[in-house]
Amino acid sequence: MRFDLDGLPVHFPYAAIYPEQHAYMGELKRALDARGHALLEMPTGTGKTAALISLITSYSLANPSRPLRLIYCTRTVHEMEKTLAELRLLFAHLPPAASRSLLALGLSSRKNLCVHPQASAAAARDSVDTACRRLTASWVREKAASDPESTPLCEFYETFDRAAAAGDLASLMPPGVYTLADLRALGRQRRVCPYFLARQMVKYANVVVYSYQYLLDPKVASIVSREMQKECVVVFDEAHNIDNVCIEALSVSIRKQTLEGAERNLRRISHEIDRFKATDANRLRAEYNRLVDGLAQRGNLPISDAWLANPALPDDILREAVPGNIRRAEHFLAVLRRLVRFLDGRLDTETVENEMPVAFVASIHSQAGIDQKMLRFCYDRLHSLMMTLEITDTDEFMHIQTICDFATLIGTYTRGFSIIIEPYDDRMPDIRDPVIQLSCHDASLAIRPVFDRFETVVITSGTLSPIDLYPRLLNFNPVISRSFTMSLTRDCICPMVLTRGSDQLPVSTKFDMRSDPGVVRNYGRLLLEMASAVPDGIVGFFVSYSYMDGIVNSWHEMGILQDIMQHKLVFIETPDVVETTLALDNYRKACDCGRGAVFFSVARGKVAEGIDFDRHYGRLVIMFGVPFQYTLSRILLARLEYLRETFQIKEGDFLTFDALRQAAQCVGRVIRSKADYGMMIFADKRYSRHDKRSKLPGWILSHLHDAHLNLSTDMALHIAREFLRRMAQPYDKTGSGGKKTLLTEEDLQAMAQDAMEM
Amino acid sequence: MGSMTIGAKYKTTLKDPGTPGILRMNDDKFTFTPNDPRSAMKLNVDFRSIKGHKFNKVDGNKPALLNLSKDSDKGGGYMFEFDNVGNRDLCRDFVAKVLGKHQGIPPRPTMPPEISGSSTGLEQLSAAEVERRVKLLREDSELQKLHKKFVLGNILRESEFWATRKNLLDDEANKASKQRPGFKTAMSDVRPSADGRTNKVTFNLTSEMIHQIFAEKPAVRRAFLDFVPKKMTDIEFWRKYCRAEYLLRTKNTVAATAEAAEDEELAVFLKNDDILAKEAKLKIKRVDPTLDMAADAGDDYIHLPDHGILRDGSKETVDTDSEWAQRTLSQELNRHAAVVLEGITSDVELTDAKTVAEALTRSKKEPPSTSTVDDDSHERLVKVARMTEIEDLQAPRSVPYAPLSIKDPRQYFDSQQANALRSLGGSNDGRKARNCSLSTEEVFHHIMDQISSFKVNKSNCSVLESDMALKVLNELNEGISRSRRLNLKNPQEGLLGRVPQHTQDELMDHWTAIQELLRHFWSSYPITSAVLYNKVQRVKDAMTQIYQKLQAIKESAQPDVRHEISRLVKPMTQALDAAFSHDLEQQQKSAKAGNKPNGY
Repeated sequence: MRFDLDGLPVHFPYAAIYPEQHAYMGELKRALDARGHALLEMPTGTGKTAALISLITSYSLANPSRPLRLIYCTRTVHEMEKTLAELRLLFAHLPPAASRSLLALGLSSRKNLCVHPQASAAAARDSVDTACRRLTASWVREKAASDPESTPLCEFYETFDRAAAAGDLASLMPPGVYTLADLRALGRQRRVCPYFLARQMVKYANVVVYSYQYLLDPKVASIVSREMQKECVVVFDEAHNIDNVCIEALSVSIRKQTLEGAERNLRRISHEIDRFKATDANRLRAEYNRLVDGLAQRGNLPISDAWLANPALPDDILREAVPGNIRRAEHFLAVLRRLVRFLDGRLDTETVENEMPVAFVASIHSQAGIDQKMLRFCYDRLHSLMMTLEITDTDEFMHIQTICDFATLIGTYTRGFSIIIEPYDDRMPDIRDPVIQLSCHDASLAIRPVFDRFETVVITSGTLSPIDLYPRLLNFNPVISRSFTMSLTRDCICPMVLTRGSDQLPVSTKFDMRSDPGVVRNYGRLLLEMASAVPDGIVGFFVSYSYMDGIVNSWHEMGILQDIMQHKLVFIETPDVVETTLALDNYRKACDCGRGAVFFSVARGKVAEGIDFDRHYGRLVIMFGVPFQYTLSRILLARLEYLRETFQIKEGDFLTFDALRQAAQCVGRVIRSKADYGMMIFADKRYSRHDKRSKLPGWILSHLHDAHLNLSTDMALHIAREFLRRMAQPYDKTGSGGKKTLLTEEDLQAMAQDAMEM
Repeated sequence: MGSMTIGAKYKTTLKDPGTPGILRMNDDKFTFTPNDPRSAMKLNVDFRSIKGHKFNKVDGNKPALLNLSKDSDKGGGYMFEFDNVGNRDLCRDFVAKVLGKHQGIPPRPTMPPEISGSSTGLEQLSAAEVERRVKLLREDSELQKLHKKFVLGNILRESEFWATRKNLLDDEANKASKQRPGFKTAMSDVRPSADGRTNKVTFNLTSEMIHQIFAEKPAVRRAFLDFVPKKMTDIEFWRKYCRAEYLLRTKNTVAATAEAAEDEELAVFLKNDDILAKEAKLKIKRVDPTLDMAADAGDDYIHLPDHGILRDGSKETVDTDSEWAQRTLSQELNRHAAVVLEGITSDVELTDAKTVAEALTRSKKEPPSTSTVDDDSHERLVKVARMTEIEDLQAPRSVPYAPLSIKDPRQYFDSQQANALRSLGGSNDGRKARNCSLSTEEVFHHIMDQISSFKVNKSNCSVLESDMALKVLNELNEGISRSRRLNLKNPQEGLLGRVPQHTQDELMDHWTAIQELLRHFWSSYPITSAVLYNKVQRVKDAMTQIYQKLQAIKESAQPDVRHEISRLVKPMTQALDAAFSHDLEQQQKSAKAGNKPNGY
């Protein structure tokens, strides 16, 4: 449909539109007009993505001065696929002239894009990267030019390189929408490397869909997203966890294995240096001269040589000459050896230590003789050295790279970080596993360059409550900040708070109660009763892996699991992503074929972050417990302290906010559209307290009736049966009475008319 | 097809006690060697001379017999008696296969030309087909009776007999693969039980559990095939397996590692399942892209080893590269559910662990890797589109409907028409029989007239006069209620109930026979070939015989039931009469048309 939004003709790929989407587009348009940032919360299942892309596309079609440049960041690859599918749908509805000229593509790592038969067969991402580099690095190709017999090259890359040299890439990739699978298919068909083609075409594409990290993690962003223009509109979808992504991007940890690996790496580097000295001493000399000239990098690297870049943010990287005492390869090697030895000594501790970067740098200086500036240049110097030594198997050198990342970060930042050394994991005090963790506390650090660089950054999700907290956490000023509620045609979501089990005793995952067999049994009975009453898919979320493992094992011992399996098949999320993916695939099959299934998952886990359990894939979500973070974690304590001092956010508030946004995120996966329906059970007595409950997003709260706040298993079962019966009735989709929940083109015209008359 | 050797007795006649000996069969011939070398009953017969095989139904003390008939018209053949039905059935299946193969050979030159020229002369029969027919006959005694009567009575050909039962054969074929019990949804758990007094732990394994173990743990299956019986016995194997299970269950990793180091067979059970890992690698490529989390892992540069936040309590740090199984309950649950969803593919009887293992291995033969195809496949796109679309914003694309499933459309519509006619029979005066020789133009005008008259008389809507409709309805209602009254009140007291038992049976037999014959009779019209002509003649002869029998029954009946019998026989004779008169008509017609050179 096409309609007019405050004078802007909007192309929308569906025949009708939700009023929320209409309002959402209105706010978005104001943000674009003001060239400012926006923070928008809209319930899941109301078509955020469709609204976003159709408005931004329509906006630039109407304003030729602002051509379509959209960077759409998703949390996961499968969300990327979904977004691209929506784009495909939208482009099909645009006027043909426009849709013929637009290019949209997804970008991912070599692991997901490589079509080279041997290289792509490798299991891990790093191995694919290495295999690729072995075939495409500039020195390998130079060697192949002189000795084509014994040096294998990648024919896909060669095609790409020829086309790139001829400036002819656009002809390889006609306008359209390219998912990762499409890119691979294109690559196979045209015999061209899809990864490098996509990397190159990102500069010209109208819409780029990729992962958060490609913009937030400086290691990746500075090689992939360096050339993005200021006019780009950046969207972070499902951004409720964006602060965690930001702090993780700047955090490093060093374990015993890392140090051992680093020492191995150093030995290998020293061998290589010796070899080069014997055979090709000029290379080392040339590198030295370059460093004297003040170039840490060799300027523009060929695209195939690019490696993970500097871990520090681009604004903070020093643009000056590498200090003299690490210019020579041997000297730098000695510095690294001293650093590794120092870290090894620090790791050998019996007590927990918590230090600020400044103090840590000072002790490095006094004990290992490495000053802050040298630390800062560690990463670039290492990178340069590895290029000079023509090292292709970068995955082997991960360890020394980690050490240099660590060095560069502590050399660069003095605030917002802390270094925590723990001799063992608190939960397993007998197993010695020392670790040095450099943990970032300030989410605003990593995202700052994004806000500075781009005019409009849109942060959106289904759960951004309380919405005033995000600007503080991320330290920015949105011009639009709004939370939308959901207008439902019928009460198609049914949240409940279950506080008591079938024996009327309270249930909770509070630390002192969680292992009580009564609570375990009550949770099991709840699931069993629900499995017998609810059709198709049921999803259960637990507070952590270890808790899930424990309780599922107990259920197994008690025989409850067997009883549940009489009704439905059981699938479980495991730390192994491949297994979890297959389990999910089977779960969907079981729901499709009508057998029904239960999926056990973990809040904050990979499944909770990005998998939808819409329609029959999820008629009921049970959140077992309140997913608080592990409050004894020293990293968390340090972060809380930082937040209190810097942003005046209280510890308790932050913890509750964090737990409830995770819970809301878990249960929110159940709804996809207004025609869908699902129940949500919050099974913990703590949810009935106002201070916890009120942190839930408004669209859930507004459907949480007072009568559903303090239920026991039998009452919940009764409500569930009633709800399912009600939902099975036919209903009027457009909404009855004065409240319209589905707008058609005529409705929108009438609305515009009304506004004119007023 | 191989060969077969089995002990049997050769009998010259049914009464003959039989000569014990060895029956050997291969693809071309069978030989019989008596145990007593002096006996003269040696046989060496080419299968090509065998036309068919018969076997008896074994019940009680009757011996299991197999008769290989030489020539169906002469009735000569070889009769063997077997110790038990199992052996007989084995032989029979083998013979059926061999014969099926031989009958597949193109017609021999000695065949009469009229048969070899026709399409119905010889069928290309697969062994499976023969087997299916045999099975059908065995299961349905009525069918068997008919078959005996007509095919062996040489009234109908084998192929003709089966041609009208194509759907039966198909059904049978489908049914076999339709519904079979899969694995149980609940995981049957190999739980140890201790008796409490001694230091002994007992595991109970049933054949069903073994089947499940083989399906869920391909490595165990492979180990079983490798080790049993070469290296160890069945029992030993399962003892080792249970030992390993016990070690895993008690989470005694130290003991497990130690024992595995000593015992390489035990180690197999404790290792990670490499076959599963391989399968997973293949499957992950075909997974729905909207839930492919493995692809995320490939895109995650934050969680490089040692990057990101390591120990904040949400992640577990376990070393997963250990070769020894860190098998958890969750993995087992996932695997079990996956196997249940896959279902049982192979046709295995749960008898012997070995056969089960072999069958599973066969069915698991990997399909060729299709990694190149997956990207282009349309299905993926459809899947993604379905997952992304917001359903209620879109007008429903097409109303989903279930296609009408009619097995045999012709039969269905014919019967519907017949029903309609029958029910209208009483009120046929409303419809005028019309000689439909109108030209298209006339038809068009007529329709236009009708339409215009309809338009004019819109008010009193004269498509059907109301009194007529009422009459039809009344009649229908009455018919329904009457027949229901009759049927429901005294189901035993029908016409059939009043005649003596043996006459009843006889009549039923005749009725089925007549139905069969009539079906063949009518289906042969119009007669277009000599084969059909011959068939009609044969069928007609058979019908005449039955007709006479019916007449005999009618006449010989006791006076008190004669009326009932005649009422019962009447529809049969009527149907036969109709057939005869039709045949007469056709003959007259063809006689009028002049004698055809080839005789019909």
